[in-house]
Amino acid sequence: MEVRLQGITKRFGSLVAIDKTSLSIEGGEFFTLLGPSGCGKTTLLRVVAGFTRPDFGKIFFGNENINRLPPHKRETGMVFQNYALFPQMDVFDNVAYGLRARRVPHEELQSRVNEILDKVQLKELAHRFPSQLSGGQQQRVALARALVICPRVLLMDEPLSNLDAKLRISMRQEIRKIQKELGITTLYVTHDQEEAMSISDRIAILNLGKVQQVGTPSEIYFHPKNRFVAEFTGTSNLLEVAVLGYDPDQQLVHTDFKGNSMLIRYPQRPLQNHLLLLLRPEWIKIARDRQDNPVNLFSGIVLSSTFVGSMVKYQIKAFGDQLLILEVQDPQDYEMKREGESLFFRFDADRPVVIASREDL
Amino acid sequence: MIRRFLGIWNLILLAALIILFLSVIYPMASIFLASFTSPETNQFSLENYQKIFHLPFYLRCLRNSLWVSTLAMILSLIIGIPFGFFVSRFHFPGKSVIKTLGTLPLILPTFIGAEAWILLLGRNGWFTQLLNAVGVRLPSIYGWKGIVLVFTLQFFPYVFLMVSAAMTTIDKSLEESARNLGANPFRVFRTVTLPVMMPAIVAGALIVFYLSIENFGVPVLIGEGFKVLAVQAYNEFISELGGNPSMAGALSMVLVMITLLVALTQKYWVERKSYAMSSLRPPDIIRLKPFPTFCIWLFCVSVVFLSLFPFFVVIVSSVTKSRGPVMYFGQFSLKNLASAFQIAPRPILNSFFLATTATLIGVVFGLGVSYLVVRRKGPVTYLLDMLIILPLIIAGTVLGIALAATYNKGMIVLTGTWMILVLAYFIRKVPYSIKTTSSVLQQIDVSVEEASINLGVPPVRSFLKVIVPVMLPGIAAGAIMMWVTTLAELSSTIVLYYGPWSTMTVQIFQYVGSGDFGLASAYGTILIVSVLIPLFFLQRFLGKELTSAL
Repeated sequence: MEVRLQGITKRFGSLVAIDKTSLSIEGGEFFTLLGPSGCGKTTLLRVVAGFTRPDFGKIFFGNENINRLPPHKRETGMVFQNYALFPQMDVFDNVAYGLRARRVPHEELQSRVNEILDKVQLKELAHRFPSQLSGGQQQRVALARALVICPRVLLMDEPLSNLDAKLRISMRQEIRKIQKELGITTLYVTHDQEEAMSISDRIAILNLGKVQQVGTPSEIYFHPKNRFVAEFTGTSNLLEVAVLGYDPDQQLVHTDFKGNSMLIRYPQRPLQNHLLLLLRPEWIKIARDRQDNPVNLFSGIVLSSTFVGSMVKYQIKAFGDQLLILEVQDPQDYEMKREGESLFFRFDADRPVVIASREDL
Repeated sequence: MIRRFLGIWNLILLAALIILFLSVIYPMASIFLASFTSPETNQFSLENYQKIFHLPFYLRCLRNSLWVSTLAMILSLIIGIPFGFFVSRFHFPGKSVIKTLGTLPLILPTFIGAEAWILLLGRNGWFTQLLNAVGVRLPSIYGWKGIVLVFTLQFFPYVFLMVSAAMTTIDKSLEESARNLGANPFRVFRTVTLPVMMPAIVAGALIVFYLSIENFGVPVLIGEGFKVLAVQAYNEFISELGGNPSMAGALSMVLVMITLLVALTQKYWVERKSYAMSSLRPPDIIRLKPFPTFCIWLFCVSVVFLSLFPFFVVIVSSVTKSRGPVMYFGQFSLKNLASAFQIAPRPILNSFFLATTATLIGVVFGLGVSYLVVRRKGPVTYLLDMLIILPLIIAGTVLGIALAATYNKGMIVLTGTWMILVLAYFIRKVPYSIKTTSSVLQQIDVSVEEASINLGVPPVRSFLKVIVPVMLPGIAAGAIMMWVTTLAELSSTIVLYYGPWSTMTVQIFQYVGSGDFGLASAYGTILIVSVLIPLFFLQRFLGKELTSAL
């Protein structure tokens, strides 16, 4: 089922929770709304579920406008952050609740509930009560309860935020697997960028009630459209450089950052005199010494170093007073530096991403 | 559909506001106006208030009311604070039984306590005669001493409950850090424990003061010539019957001003001073050496014994041979109980019928109001939330006078019907129902309801299907509290009842007045048993302490 939102606006008093937001989610797609708390992502989910009425805008399931459809007739399956299991009912009755509301015949109900409980590996616990289940098990019940009614859209509101880190990772793989098997259109809300990247087909980044960017996880990571997306989707080094000249043959921009010359590959002559460059920590390499490669080679002083085995993470000071974060995977001997030591670093001319957005400068 | 859904709750909101308007606001406004009219000319006048504040008789009523209430409050603190401290901080044998029995006086009707002390220490009292025989003369139980005695013994549990609740919410680390910073145990108590408990102590004291000043049964039975406001308002109302309740209205207003002041102090001082603490580790329960333990035990047992002994006396009296005010203790007789049950069962049936009707209405109303107040926050529900406190701060006599005076003429005539009794009971006791249901509702996350709606069940049906079942124990607790306190309600009944709709409480009141203690005790016993049985069920089958509904 395709879901389309057109120009949705929702105000709570003077606060604009959602500001003229339009999104289109394809059938069978796993679509995530990602953003910091208060960005409007949960409100948007509740607009789709029908618990919040937008002030303006239209919601479509397929070609059907569902603005006037009350929440209990929307056929969405929602998984709540706190699971919202009915405490007085056992697992079976919780899952069967929606089917009973639809007057599904007894035999069909039995088989559908058992089938879904099997899928979420809860068959043995069918007669336990929510209070007797662990967090992860409650999560599965909530998922099964939402899925068993074969909803047109599956809605998930930070479903993993109450689980511990390890369980969160295994649950997200499981959710992803079940979602693909059933091919159900899913709208997922989270504030955890790693979770969003690992689980989604596409992600919409929200901030202050506005969609900042929509794209696949890699598009968003490698080509953020603005400063906010760049910073929210991972650790970022952002440098504002001045354009000195352009070499169309090699497609290189000659730039200057605080008196240091940098070469950046860019397909056309930049229109602005300044560019915002994004350098992810793992894109920067540590050089053995000054002679290694004279292009984009600089030095800095280690402020802190964190060694976690597979990787070492540095915070360094370079270009005078600029802080940079560096991550070295599988570090070699010469790449191990201590606080106060100086090091040389470089990056390839085609590594930095030029953030096109004008207002971030 | 969403519009219709909102419509249903808006309709319930409107109904709740109308009910509150008709049962509290309009009647109170009309006696407020009546209090400013002259009884002779029916013109606007301040003469009623001039009389109250100038005639020595009325001034004495006011002073008497304040005197007994203040004294009862102080004595309740003197008993209640150590009692609460001991049961929450120290080990001693039989503690849980003592704690449970210690809360019982709250539920037992105060005027039965008064009756019992008359039976023991009154003119023909058992003790009085026993001591007279050996030549000892006790000071008279009648007047303010008796009133204060009964109030203290029945109301101290409020202080003890507040204190022990506050004691267990203090986190252990608080006192430990004070010790760690170099304070000795006494200093810790004075500088940390006591200030943290202060709001609870003041809250308990205010409740005792309020209950004492609004009480009608105890001063009317044991006070004799000692007149207090609640009793005098009733007397004035009876003598003004049919006319404009101007003097009764003015006395009522004075009483309302005092109770309002108490309520405002509670709301704006106590609630502001209260420290919200999430206690992770409640303080250790201390095991003292045998002798101090014995002293604590003796204190608590004596207090509980003194406060419950009167009810035991009434039960014994009900099966004792009697002739008028003279009880033949030791001589067994079922005559009193038999005549209560066989000759005049009507008051018993009346009490049950009225209490049950008022409770049923109260449960439905309480459910609706709780839902509105907890789930549909907005300016109008906020107003509802404020208004619902009103019945709590209006003395029973005052509400009775207001209702009787308002509905004896005009469009709606209820005075002289049983419906006015149900209305008074409902509005006076519905806060119990609202309090218990809304506190359970607050613990149920909105998303549980939304989950049900999301799965295809319409909103109101979702509420009934998934929320109400979870709330049932809370609803039952509120209903039981409403029912037992309605059964024991005297102050508004005495103003509003008429001939055939006399209740058990009225019978007890009248038989004590006419000195027929045998029959009074018989009805008293039936009332005590009727109150204790549901409480037993509440505790046994719902696992709820009676205090959960207070």
